[in-house]
Amino acid sequence: MGPNFREILPLLARNQVRFILIGGGAAIAHGSAKITYDVDVAYARDPENIRSLVKALDPYAPYLRGAPAGLPFRFDEATVQAGLNFTLTTALGDLDLLGEVTGGGTHEQLLPYSQEMEIFGLKCRVVSLEKLIQLKRAAGRPKDLEALAELQALLEERSKLES
Amino acid sequence: MNSDLGRLLAAVDFCDPVIDAYKKDIDRTLLRENLKLSVDDRFQKFERFLEYVYELQEAGRRARSSG
Repeated sequence: MGPNFREILPLLARNQVRFILIGGGAAIAHGSAKITYDVDVAYARDPENIRSLVKALDPYAPYLRGAPAGLPFRFDEATVQAGLNFTLTTALGDLDLLGEVTGGGTHEQLLPYSQEMEIFGLKCRVVSLEKLIQLKRAAGRPKDLEALAELQALLEERSKLES
Repeated sequence: MNSDLGRLLAAVDFCDPVIDAYKKDIDRTLLRENLKLSVDDRFQKFERFLEYVYELQEAGRRARSSG
């Protein structure tokens, strides 16, 4: 199953989960033409937000992506509190929950580098294009080189439009 | 300008010959078209493209199974 931005983002927003869209979804929001296969969000790790996150996702059977079936995994507040980053499958599609992002830190640290955008009729915070480039660079993955080139080209094109 | 912002801008301006090499093959007309769209429209375009990819994958699977 591919990334289900249409259902996952409004679900989180409706449940007052504080999150920032990062990764391929943020790239699309900024105008990228690349394909992505999951929804990546940086989430705030305070107890109230973790409670909202668990409540929002609980009906959609979140489970560890790629893990064998039948593991004693429970997506509850204690699990999220004890962990940090989760790559999940859900009934709505794949979702990566990041408590900390390489090169970007926590949700709070990313907040000044995010902007509010209206996506599917709801306001969501999305990491800025400049910061997204920095995050991709910090990740240092060879598979990101082409994506990085596209994001930089996007930044150049956007600057031309704004000047 | 605070030091964090300065570092961020410096990073964006940073030139990497490998990335520059990839940049030559980027279809900028596609990016310019996307920049004209609203954020919602960009996601809808992505969804349509993804459906197309899935259809192609399915067609490939059918072709392989029919031998």
